[in-house]
Amino acid sequence: MVEDTIRALLTEAFPGAVELSVEDRTGTGDHFQVTVVSSAFDGVSLIDQHRRVNEVLARPLADGSIHELRIKTKGTT
Amino acid sequence: MKTLTEQISDVIRDEPVAVFMKGTPQMVMCGNSHRALQALHAAGAPITTVDVLPDPRIRQELSAISGWPTIPQVFVKGELVGGADITEELHASGELQQKLDSALGADRAQDVKVVALELA
Repeated sequence: MVEDTIRALLTEAFPGAVELSVEDRTGTGDHFQVTVVSSAFDGVSLIDQHRRVNEVLARPLADGSIHELRIKTKGTT
Repeated sequence: MKTLTEQISDVIRDEPVAVFMKGTPQMVMCGNSHRALQALHAAGAPITTVDVLPDPRIRQELSAISGWPTIPQVFVKGELVGGADITEELHASGELQQKLDSALGADRAQDVKVVALELA
């Protein structure tokens, strides 16, 4: 499932995340809300935080398995 | 005729606030594009929109330029602000208005304009 793929990719990329969640927003398996709170984002601008998440999810974004992605990121400080 | 990449770069460079979106402000075709427009409007931004739906190449060329994979994409004075989530978040914190104030002045116009790209 796409949701599991997204969770696996994010978990691998942000191993020490304080919070990491993937929500299927519409129940249709292609609209997702992801939330990542990690010290990896400390001191990183919001746009670069989102860029990192987009990079981690580049494959499912490019192949169309993610139709819509909402991102919420935060550092820990 | 200018290439698609040139036309997109021109819009990003020349428009105070450029929004690449699905549809137009009159007929928004995507919830995220709607969210970005709402936040910009509430922050008192002038808005120039480009519809990416007429041709998939628009989105491809745009993402190649910006390095940002999703739609919408919001630019202020040539600089990528982000997509709908960031635009909403910056609006909620007041930073969007600050950014617009410093980039465009506090007494800016709030015109809404639609640019149609020429497709070969």
